[in-house]
Amino acid sequence: MKDTNMQNPKISAKNVQVYYGDNHAIKDVNVEIADKTVTAFIGPSGCGKSTFLRCLNRMNDTIDICRVTGEIKIDNEDIYDAKVDPVQLRAKVGMVFQKPNPFPKSIYDNVAYGPKIHGLARNKAELDEIVEKALRKAALWNEAKDRLNSPGTGLSGGQQQRLCIARAIATAPEVLLMDEPCSALDPIATAQVEELIDELRQSYSVVIVTHSMQQAARVSQKTAFFHLGNLVEYDDTTKIFTNPDDPRTESYISGRIG
Amino acid sequence: MANHISSAYDRDLEAIQTLVVKMGGMVEGAILLASQSLETRDVELAEKVRADDKKIDALELQINEEAARVIALRAPVSKDLRSILTVLRIAASLERIGDYAKNMAKRTGTLVDMPAIAGSDAALRRMAREVSLMLKDMLDAYLRGDAVLAEDVRQRDQEVDQMYNALFREFLTFMMEDPRNITACMHLHFMAKNVERMGDLVTNMAEQVIYQVTGEMPEEARPKGDKTSYMTEL
Amino acid sequence: MTHKSLLVADARTKKRNAAERRFKAYGLTAIVVAILALIMLLVSVFGTGASSFRQTYATVTVPLPEDKLDKSGVRDIDVMKKVTTIGYTKLLNEGFENVVIASGIPTELSRKDIGGMLSKEAAATIRDHILANSELVGTEATLDLLMNGRIDGYFKGRVTMESAALDSNTSPEELALAQALKDAGIVHTKFNWAFLTNPDASDQRPEAAGLGVAILGSLYMMIVVLVTSLPIAVAASIYLEEFAPKNRWTDLIEVNISNLAAVPSIVYGILGLAIFINFLELNQSSPLVGGLVLSLMTLPRIIIPARAALKSVPPSIRDAALGVGASKMQSVFHHVLPLAAPGILTGVIIGLGQALGETAPLLLIGMVAFVREYPAAYTPDAGLFGEASTALPVQVYNWTQRADPGFVERASGAIITLLIFLLVMNAVAIFLRRKFERRW
Repeated sequence: MKDTNMQNPKISAKNVQVYYGDNHAIKDVNVEIADKTVTAFIGPSGCGKSTFLRCLNRMNDTIDICRVTGEIKIDNEDIYDAKVDPVQLRAKVGMVFQKPNPFPKSIYDNVAYGPKIHGLARNKAELDEIVEKALRKAALWNEAKDRLNSPGTGLSGGQQQRLCIARAIATAPEVLLMDEPCSALDPIATAQVEELIDELRQSYSVVIVTHSMQQAARVSQKTAFFHLGNLVEYDDTTKIFTNPDDPRTESYISGRIG
Repeated sequence: MANHISSAYDRDLEAIQTLVVKMGGMVEGAILLASQSLETRDVELAEKVRADDKKIDALELQINEEAARVIALRAPVSKDLRSILTVLRIAASLERIGDYAKNMAKRTGTLVDMPAIAGSDAALRRMAREVSLMLKDMLDAYLRGDAVLAEDVRQRDQEVDQMYNALFREFLTFMMEDPRNITACMHLHFMAKNVERMGDLVTNMAEQVIYQVTGEMPEEARPKGDKTSYMTEL
Repeated sequence: MTHKSLLVADARTKKRNAAERRFKAYGLTAIVVAILALIMLLVSVFGTGASSFRQTYATVTVPLPEDKLDKSGVRDIDVMKKVTTIGYTKLLNEGFENVVIASGIPTELSRKDIGGMLSKEAAATIRDHILANSELVGTEATLDLLMNGRIDGYFKGRVTMESAALDSNTSPEELALAQALKDAGIVHTKFNWAFLTNPDASDQRPEAAGLGVAILGSLYMMIVVLVTSLPIAVAASIYLEEFAPKNRWTDLIEVNISNLAAVPSIVYGILGLAIFINFLELNQSSPLVGGLVLSLMTLPRIIIPARAALKSVPPSIRDAALGVGASKMQSVFHHVLPLAAPGILTGVIIGLGQALGETAPLLLIGMVAFVREYPAAYTPDAGLFGEASTALPVQVYNWTQRADPGFVERASGAIITLLIFLLVMNAVAIFLRRKFERRW
C-alpha cells in the first residue's frame, strides 16, 4: 500500500483491532485522516467500515462485547485513554446516522438539545443564535424557520437528515462522522445532502461511510476501501476510481466478482 | 480479470470490443487495397476503397453510440472506464485512417493518367504494409490487453517515419530532375504523408492500449522519425 | 406451453381458498363464543346485582318522648347514649303502627310484627339521628327508614307469597301490608347510596350491608401498591434494560422475574403473612399489609411490560442522543423514558387492575375479617393504613358465603362496582396511551 503519512493528520489510527466477542472485525488498520477534507470509507457489507467509523467517537463502547485495541488519536490525543470521557469526545466528534433519527420533539428542540446539555449557551438569545446558525449551515433554515416548533419527525426524509446534521453541527464538533447518511433518501434529497457535505468540508473534517461508490466518488477527496476487516487501499479518490492499485479494490468498484 | 456481477455489462463491453476489432480489420484492408490499387493502377479497386469508407464511418458511429449507452447506464469506473475511453479514441483514430485511405484512393484515380514515378509505388506499398502490420499488432494488443506488444508497435513508427523521409527526398529529386513530374510527385507525396499520418495514429492507439492496460499514459517521449520538417535541402 | 385461464380456479387454489374460509369460520366462532360468555356473565351479574343499587324505605314518624330518651332533660349526650337500640325499637314499633293506622289500611298484625317489617338497622339509624340532633327530643321525627330484607326482596321479586308462608322471618300478611303501604306512598324504593357508603352488616340485615369500608380499603391498598411498585418497577426495568451488563446474572434475574409473574398469587399471601405480619409485626387485615403483598405480586407484572416498552423504543433514538454527546443517563431520561412512558403507564394500570381484583393473598393476611365499623384509623392521626379493613373482592367472597339470600344480590352488586372500577382504570390506561403515544 502507498505511504499515506500526512503532515498534520486530524485523526490518526495505528494498529487498530476490533473484536466482537471472538469475531475479529477490524484487522490492524492504520490510517491518517486529514482536517477539512471528506474521507469516504467504502467496502462490501460487513467489511468493518461502519465498525471502524464508530471507533472514532467510541460509539462502540455501548456494545458490551466489543473490544478495541491499538491507538486512535484525534489532534494527537489518544481517545481511548482512560482519562477521556466519551461524552466529551462525542461532542467534539459528531455523528450522523444511516436512518434519519430526529428526536420526537420540535425542530428547535432537536437542534438545541446538544448545546443545552453541553452548556454552550448562557441564555435563550444565544441558544436561538446557535440553532439558527446550525440550521443555516445545514441548509435547512429557509425551509424550517417558519416551523421551528413543529415536530422534527414531520419533515421529509431529506430534511430530517439535514436536521440531524444540524443537530450534530450545533454542538460545535471538529469532526463529523456520517454512517451511510443518504441510504434512506431519494436521489434529490441525496444530492442536497451531498452538496451540504461539500460545504461542510470548509469547517470540518468529514468521514463518511457509504455503500454508493458514486457518492464516495462525488463527495470525497480521500477514499479508503475496506474488505473483510482489512483496510485494503487508501488513496486519493480520483486514483481509487480510475486506477486502483489493489485488484480487490478494482473488482469491488467496477462491480466484478472478486 | 474476473467477470462483472452483471453479465449484461460484460456482454455490452464484449460487443463494443468486437465492433472495434471489426472496424480495425476493415481499416487494415482499406490501407492495403489503397496501396495495391495505386501499384496496379486499378481504378475499380480504388473506387471500392472509397465506397467502403462509408461503412467504416457508419461503424464508428455505432461504436460511439454503444459507448455512450454503456457510460450512461453502467457508469463505468477504473478499468472499465479506461476501456470505454480507449474504445472512443481508437474508433476516432480508425475513422481518420479510413479517411486517409480514401484520400489515397482518390489520388490513385488522378494518378492513373500520369507517368509513373519509378519505384515510388512499391515504396509506398511497403510503407502501407508496414503501417497495416502495425495496425494489426495494435489490434492484437488491444484484444489481449498486451501492453508489451503495444509498446513494440509504438516503437515501430520510427521505421515508417524513416521510409517517409526517404520517399520525401526521392520525390524532391524527381521534381528537380524534371518539372513535368511535379504534379505526380505532389500527389504521391501527399499519399506518403497520409501513410505516415496513419502510422502516427496507430501509435496513438497503441498508447491508448497501454493506458487501458496500465492506467497510465507512457511518459517517455515517443521516438520521432519524421525529420522532413527540418529539411532544407538534399 | 399451455395457457391456463385465470377465470377458472384450479384445484389447488380451490383447496387453499376453502382452508382459508374454514380458518376464518373457526376464528369467528371463537369470537362469538367469547362474546356469548361475556354476555352471560354480564346478564347474570347485572340481573342479580343491579337491584342492590335500589333499596326499599318506609317514611315513618317516630314519637320521641323526653321521659324515655332523656329523663334529666339537660340533653347530655353521654347520658342519652345510655338508651340502647332496644329502647328506640319500641318507639319505632309504636311510630310505624301509628303510620299504618293513620293510613287506614286494615291489618291484623300486632305492633311487634308491624315493627318487625322495618330493618333491625332502623333503630340504630334513628338513635344516631337523635344523638346528632338532641333538640328533637320531646317532639317527633319523620325519617326514611330501611325495610327489612324480606320486604325489600318482595319488591325486587326475590320473595313471593308462597316462600313467605314457609319463612319464619316474614309472613304473607306482612307482604300484603307492605304492598298496601307502597300503594299508599308510605313505602317506596329509591337509589341506594348507602350501598356505596355503609360498612358491612351482620348476617341478619343484608339490607344494611354496604361497600364503604371495602372501597376505602381497596383504594388505600391501590395507593400503597402505586407508591411502592411503580418507582421500584420502573427503576428496575430501566436498570435491567439500559444499564445492566448482559451476562449470566442478568439472564438469571430476567428468568426469575418472568417466573415470579407466573407464581400463583396465594403464594404471595403466605410470603406476606411470614414477612409483614409474623416478622415485621404489622397489623393484620390492614390495607398497608394488603398493599405491600399486592405490590410484591404486581412488581414482576409491571416490570415485564415496562421492559417491553423500553425495548420497543428504537435504538436509533439512543444513538442519536449518544451521538450528540448525551450521557447514558441523559439519553434514557430525556429521550427513551418519555417515549416508553405510555407503554409503562399501560402496564402499571393493568397491573393495578389485577391487584384490585386479587382475593387469594388477602385471605391469608386476614383481610377477610368482618368489619362492622369504619375503622377509627381512617383518620390521619391513627396511621391511616394500619387498621383492620377489607377489600372489594374479599367482600364479594365474604358475602357469597352468607346464608341470607339478600347477600347474593349484594355480592353481585359488589362485582358490578368492581367491574366499573376496572373499566374506569382500563379507560384511563387507553386514554393515557392515546394521549402520550408519539410516532417516530
